[in-house]
Amino acid sequence: MDKKTFFEQYNQRTHTYGRAGLIIGIILMLGCPFVMGLILGAMPDLGAFWKGFAQVALVYIPSCAVEFLIYTPMLGAGGSYLAFITGNLINMKIPCMMNAKGITDAEAGSPESEIVSTLSIAASAVTTTVVIALGVLLLIPLQPILSSPVLAPAFDNVVPALFGALAYQYFRKGIKIVAIPLMVMTVLCVAMPSLIGSVGFLIIPSGAMAIGIGYVLWKRDIKKEVTE
Amino acid sequence: MSVLSQMNSLPMYLICGVIILFVLAMSLFFMVRAWRAGIAIGMDQTKLRRAVTSSVTFTLLPSISILLGVIALSGSLGVPLPWLRLSVIGALHYETSVADIAARAIGLSGLNISEMTPTAYTTIALVMSAGIIWGMVLTIFFNKRYLSRLQKPKNAATSKGGKGFGDVAMTAMFIGLVAAYVGSYVGTFTSTGNYMPLIVLAVSAAAMAVFTYFSEKRGQLWLDNFSVAGSMLCGMAAAVLAALV
Repeated sequence: MDKKTFFEQYNQRTHTYGRAGLIIGIILMLGCPFVMGLILGAMPDLGAFWKGFAQVALVYIPSCAVEFLIYTPMLGAGGSYLAFITGNLINMKIPCMMNAKGITDAEAGSPESEIVSTLSIAASAVTTTVVIALGVLLLIPLQPILSSPVLAPAFDNVVPALFGALAYQYFRKGIKIVAIPLMVMTVLCVAMPSLIGSVGFLIIPSGAMAIGIGYVLWKRDIKKEVTE
Repeated sequence: MSVLSQMNSLPMYLICGVIILFVLAMSLFFMVRAWRAGIAIGMDQTKLRRAVTSSVTFTLLPSISILLGVIALSGSLGVPLPWLRLSVIGALHYETSVADIAARAIGLSGLNISEMTPTAYTTIALVMSAGIIWGMVLTIFFNKRYLSRLQKPKNAATSKGGKGFGDVAMTAMFIGLVAAYVGSYVGTFTSTGNYMPLIVLAVSAAAMAVFTYFSEKRGQLWLDNFSVAGSMLCGMAAAVLAALV
């Protein structure tokens, strides 16, 4: 069997297994509160559920849709099935996968990229699950150390620490793309501090700007290559 | 038995543990398949190993911060539910806010252990689960179609002989994401005077520059696997030092 046919079959099966896994995952997750209710003798209050769910859905369904549209192309097939069931996309899975792709020089859209993305997300998910499970086992002795006030500033700033490292890597890679989105986002957040809490939504215009500039630069490079 | 003891009882651990085990098994299954497929299409095993090791080291530190999230929520929701929610799909900011919304919907003054009842607990668990599954639902129905549609223009572009736009778009999207966060840290500083995120960001970026220098100019390629986690650690250590000053 040639490489292309093999990879097409692999991808086809990825979709089948991925869908089956997510369907089972959804059933388990929605069933879990009811099983807990059976054991505790206290089933969920469905009136309160709908009231709470309506508020949550207003914010989180559009956010889930945006995440799906933006991150699926980055993650590829296997990566997205895993990432959407294991979570922590922006703060962990996406940067982790981009880092792995950078290290292995996998070109976006290639079979290598699909493999690296799946390996990276899976390794990340397994690591997180194991660390949290070990942590839960050790929760009592660890709690005073990890939640000590001295270490609190470190864990309160995990996200800026992550984005500092990534800013250096990515700003360097696309120096011509950086200036405008960075300037616009900074001016927006300084002029309207209320936007800071909605950084998840700011990613959309910021990303759109960066992709637009990237497209113009890419077109220019293609033109140059053709004329040469 | 108190509500907290009920929330921390063995059956609750077992229910959550089964779901976590399922997701762990699914991740391992996908990892083994991808590894085998990588070898079958002729990828270098060193490359595959680097993808895995870099991802494991990259994830270690953020995982500890997620564990802290479990600790943070364990006082009001017990250990098993936060363990489940932060291992499967969840993220701390989402879980905390949704649990609070659900608690208020059932009539509590907020996510508060002193007012918690078993019914409130199972209702909160249901709202948390139902609110977060939509990325999975969209993936089940549209992932295949969406990806195959995206691949068409990419193929057309590369067939002209130029570099694919996919690469540029991914880097650009990520630059946009980082730019939004950097902007928010500058805004946080100017509006509240909280300079900590900016200090951490700067130290972490500087550490990354040092790692890159040794990796690229001195040929220490193995450092690539630890550069992000190491830079984060430097940034976080700077936060502890800055808070002490």
